[in-house]
Amino acid sequence: MISPELKQVILKQLNLDDFDIKDETTAPEVPGWDSLNHINIILAIEEHFKVKFKSYELLRLKCVGDLQKLLDSKLTKQ
Amino acid sequence: MEKFNIEEANTLWKRWKLNAEKYPDKEAVVHWLAGENPFRWTYKNLIETAEKFSLILKKHGIKKGEVCAIIIRHNKFLYPLYFSIIRLGALPAILAYPNPRLHPDKFRQGLEGMSQRSGLDYVLTEKELDPLIRPLIDKQGSTIKNIFFPLDWDLDSEFDSALNDKIEKAADEIKFEDEAFLQHSSGTTGLQKPVVLSHKALLYHVKYLGERLGMNQQDKVVSWLPLYHDLGLIAAFHIPLAYGITTIQIDPFEWVLAPILQLEAVTKEKATMTYMPNFAYNVLAEKIDEEDLEGIDLSSLRAVVNCAEPIRHESHVKFIERFKKYNLNPLSLAGMYAMAETTLAVTVTDIGKPIKEVKTDRDELAQGRVKLAEGNSSIRICVSSGRLIEACDARIVDDNRKGLPDGIVGEVAVKSVSMFDGYRNYPEKTAEVVENGWYFTGDYGFKYEDEFFIIGRKKDIIIVAGKNIYPEDIEDAVNQVEGVIPGRVIAFGEEDPEMGTEFISVIAETKAGTEEEKNNLRLAILKAGMSIDVGIHKVYLVPPRWLIKSSSGKPSRRTNKERLIGNKDPQVWSR
Repeated sequence: MISPELKQVILKQLNLDDFDIKDETTAPEVPGWDSLNHINIILAIEEHFKVKFKSYELLRLKCVGDLQKLLDSKLTKQ
Repeated sequence: MEKFNIEEANTLWKRWKLNAEKYPDKEAVVHWLAGENPFRWTYKNLIETAEKFSLILKKHGIKKGEVCAIIIRHNKFLYPLYFSIIRLGALPAILAYPNPRLHPDKFRQGLEGMSQRSGLDYVLTEKELDPLIRPLIDKQGSTIKNIFFPLDWDLDSEFDSALNDKIEKAADEIKFEDEAFLQHSSGTTGLQKPVVLSHKALLYHVKYLGERLGMNQQDKVVSWLPLYHDLGLIAAFHIPLAYGITTIQIDPFEWVLAPILQLEAVTKEKATMTYMPNFAYNVLAEKIDEEDLEGIDLSSLRAVVNCAEPIRHESHVKFIERFKKYNLNPLSLAGMYAMAETTLAVTVTDIGKPIKEVKTDRDELAQGRVKLAEGNSSIRICVSSGRLIEACDARIVDDNRKGLPDGIVGEVAVKSVSMFDGYRNYPEKTAEVVENGWYFTGDYGFKYEDEFFIIGRKKDIIIVAGKNIYPEDIEDAVNQVEGVIPGRVIAFGEEDPEMGTEFISVIAETKAGTEEEKNNLRLAILKAGMSIDVGIHKVYLVPPRWLIKSSSGKPSRRTNKERLIGNKDPQVWSR
């Protein structure tokens, strides 16, 4: 499940008040989440949660649920 | 430096065959895959596989002169497939694979419009797109005869030598002046203009651009540019392969997620050249973590060529600052002015020399005059796109297409030995832009000390990350949104200094009154953009009759943009 905190960081970066983001949601389904903005969303998540993603980790992500899992794994290690 | 001898092999297939004879084991294409070993095509393997593909294509009835659209994602077989179509004398046209956000109907409409304009005969694609494309074949008036899935073909089936000999004999008869391939000049869905280029146009371009770039047999090009884009197709695919050097092809979708791939490929393959639009300089300079850069060495790069959108001084500064400690030679940075209509380049800066920059007085420049900035001028630094390449000519003209002196801003008109023969099946459009052998580009610029500087556009095209987008496409989509007053929408580009490109803004008239209604309308407008695979960044909502009309009776993009930017109008809601 997508944490409210992650959802908020994504929505803020996209300048959206609300949008139904679920585990299976993919970037192209979310208004404003295009390829250029993707980089900025990842950087915003890194900054907010004080984590660093590896490029290859990001290439494997298929949906927001995968992003949440990757984030959780980073936070657990901290 | 070796001279490129056109007479030695005067069609693309003959050239590729010659390269396979001269350098059989040299790598032609290194097909890059993130986190995996790349697939390496030698010239010999590439030719042999292309022969196998052409046998199957021939058996499927594909003939000389027919147009074959290729809609395939980053795949190692795309290259020999492309070769095989050219071997048959048919015309390949690489088209973008539909982004998931693009509405299926919009994709179909775009392809249908393109098929009617370009006269597409066959679509070579992936099985996944079958349900999307097949209905087009049966549609009345469709030019598309069939759809094939070449990635599923068995290339190891028995090799028909007799048929291969017959195909080779026919390939020998293809002439220098014959049409070779088709590329689409710009635009999003229905407005793309098909440009057909001959073997002659391409091979002359290889010779003259290659000479100006100082290309040699040790060069290796790295590119993540999509092959449906003219810069990717010509600079990073056709030119290296005609020259007999190596091109390293990265998946554009992977590059966007992990731009470090480009620098890794340069480091591992000791690449010497790379081409990219301006925004990519910002992305590489600012969006990669320092720890990801461990081991990166850019010392092999001798040409980093900025092309496909206006060159920004700040982007070059950021790029050099970030990568000089990774052994980037600042003098490797270059600028190029190019367009599909002249095969590619018109001008390019001298490799290995500093790019000329002119500090102009911004206000004077806005009035069309180049005046060097003085003490308290507002400065605009204009970056040169370089000098003309051989067998190319360019001049700056006024609205009546009369020549202007150096230092005056006007439209750029160009002429080239590699010029297109007109847009395919589009004589009225060709007539609009070609006169007495000159192509009127619609770009604004000036000539200063023998170099050309491109500073804007006469047309309202928006360039986002090197991709040309017509505002009409966006306006058509937004006009369908409930709550927007039909016909009362304009789209335009705004400077995006952070990303080194433009972003898309929309002004729409509406009767929506409450904050909630306006937010909902904005979301609907963003979704309308998504349906045509266009990311709208900013929405301005204005009351009815706010937009100023031009003399044609339509809302004027330029006037309304100027009215909006920098003026705080309480009637304007924006987000």
